[in-house]
Amino acid sequence: MIFSELYGAYYNTVAAILAEAVTHPVSEKNIGNIIKKYAFSESIWAISDAIKEERWQIVKADGTTPITNKPSMPLTILQKRWLKAIGCDPRLKLFGTFDFDYPDVEPLFLPTDYIIFDKYADGDDYTDERYISNFRLILDAVRNQYPLKIETLNRKGMQISQVVLPEYLEYSEKDDKFRLIGAGNRFESTINLGRIISCKRYEKSLEITQGKCNSARSCYVVFELKDERKALERVLLHFAHFKKVAKRIEENRYSITIYYDREDETEILIRILSFGPLIKVTAPVHFIELMKQRLLEQKKL
Amino acid sequence: MAYNELVKNFKRIRDYMREFYVYGFKSRDEFIQKSTRSYDDERRRLESWLGDYMQFRQTPEGKNIFLSIDSRLTKHNPLFKAWKTKSFTDGDITLHFVLLDILSDPNIRMTTGEITERIDEYLSQFTEPRMFDESTVRKKLKEYVSQGILISEKKGKVLYYRRAENIPLPDKDMLDYFSEVLPCGVIGSFLLDKMEQSSSHFAFKHHYITGTMDTEILYSVFLAIREKRGMTLEIINRYNHRITENYVIPIKVMISVQSGRQYLMAYTPRFNRITPYRTDNIISAKLDTISERFDELQSTFEKMLPNMWGVSTEGRTGARIEHVEFTVHYADDEKHIRNRLEREKRCGIVEHLDHNTSRFSADVFDASEVIPWIRTFICRITEVHFSNKELEEQFKNDINDMYALYGIGGDE
Repeated sequence: MIFSELYGAYYNTVAAILAEAVTHPVSEKNIGNIIKKYAFSESIWAISDAIKEERWQIVKADGTTPITNKPSMPLTILQKRWLKAIGCDPRLKLFGTFDFDYPDVEPLFLPTDYIIFDKYADGDDYTDERYISNFRLILDAVRNQYPLKIETLNRKGMQISQVVLPEYLEYSEKDDKFRLIGAGNRFESTINLGRIISCKRYEKSLEITQGKCNSARSCYVVFELKDERKALERVLLHFAHFKKVAKRIEENRYSITIYYDREDETEILIRILSFGPLIKVTAPVHFIELMKQRLLEQKKL
Repeated sequence: MAYNELVKNFKRIRDYMREFYVYGFKSRDEFIQKSTRSYDDERRRLESWLGDYMQFRQTPEGKNIFLSIDSRLTKHNPLFKAWKTKSFTDGDITLHFVLLDILSDPNIRMTTGEITERIDEYLSQFTEPRMFDESTVRKKLKEYVSQGILISEKKGKVLYYRRAENIPLPDKDMLDYFSEVLPCGVIGSFLLDKMEQSSSHFAFKHHYITGTMDTEILYSVFLAIREKRGMTLEIINRYNHRITENYVIPIKVMISVQSGRQYLMAYTPRFNRITPYRTDNIISAKLDTISERFDELQSTFEKMLPNMWGVSTEGRTGARIEHVEFTVHYADDEKHIRNRLEREKRCGIVEHLDHNTSRFSADVFDASEVIPWIRTFICRITEVHFSNKELEEQFKNDINDMYALYGIGGDE
């Protein structure tokens, strides 16, 4: 069972409370802070009251506990099976060498049990030794915040060298590629890992210019749709991963606003085109013009 | 019954999350098929679990509530929280922590009777100690053995219990990544909860989290596939709200990273066909007996894959296979269009006719599935042909409708 109290926020919260109570009496304030950190916004009353009223007989009124050890729970079969499934995934090597050879369980699934049928065919090669070592170095630099000197091939096949302070790695399931997002001193700080020729630790000091900031690049598009041919469901599911607002403007007619990163404008444009006449862009004007331009060019052919 | 932030059954909350996250335009009055009490409770729960993502909008029909999540900015899937809300009894939580403290080391072995006595000693420190009888304790011990937390061993006629070996937790970065990209990723999130909280070093683009709500269904499907078992599915038709029950033999899970949809491809004896079932339309999935046809159906399906663009295994006309092809023209500085065709062609074939022209063709069960992708090449399509002429006409009419939508006239 996945839906089990064993994995619940309340059990984790109580484990954290007990982890303190085994070493010193916990105050109501302590308990409140732990609840805020580990549980939900309304949990404060439910958990505090249950402890105070001794309905859960684990912490006494004086803040001590009969429990003697810091709480821990062995991995469940479910958790071991899922980890064993990771053990079969070629991407695991990116993170190092792991032993998930638990003899008492089978993997929850094998890579052959599922197909991602619409990911792009030119994804990163996770078996390439150079790629693996670059990935590990970059991840280490993200963890420990040191700059890297990275040489890449650009789209035109030219070699480019840049120094970057890595912030995080971004993975796209559709592209099946990793990108490094970081702050650099000259070039844009987004680097496709698959294009890296060499990657080394940069030993000199680095003067950082602006890093990437998604919120500063936020754009929006508004479109209307008529709920025909299951359009509403298709559109809302398709754009589900964006921040969005959906409004019903009249019976069977909807207005959807999608917020996206400016660098993805062309992608958003063709994704909207893919819905054909089911949706019509209504704002902003420049996006309407982009749609018109594509259609005008098509009409000429 | 008094309001409780936790829930016993995930089914109802699954429906509400779908409404608030995927749709998000319904007002309170539109949830009438569920009771208003139920609506108020579920809304309050979701607000407590996912308050940071809940948004409100006042409309003439009333207040609309929706979940607005940019999954590129949230480094951990917030919907996982819903899976951590299972209710329990006061006895459950008391027993859990006391039991695991009594059996704190894998070398400690005790019988049910001994454990029950020790529990009494622990609880005697409270003003009004709870009493757990031996059968209640035995039931909990058995449950924990089935979960793998405890191990039972018989010595002679006596049954002893001990804690399972502690296994060190794996690398956090690895869990941060796989919990977001692998099926049933919430299990990785359960493991992350055991670690010190720290920010993730990963972010995810094009990241669909809609399938999170269907994790338990997917989990059952994987169990059935691994054990080569049949399944009984309860399926809802979202348009007429009819629920049907089907016995199926599961074959494969198909996941779309361009729509977030997940499907179970399964053989349905009643229809004598392999068909897709969307996991969000599966209400329940029960494992049945082992199927002797499992391996045979796997190889049948493998043979079908070269003609599947998406998940459809039959076209609208009933023809076995439909042919589709289109040609695109691009400028000298638009070689990325060639690359797009190559990387996105799936089961199709791409021929480069000259430096500026390429042709895509495919033989598929259902050519209508290819249409949305063809439309992404609008402004470059010079020819398009479907063996299904009705589809070809529909495609061309749709393009004309698009011209009309944007006021692009006849001779413009």
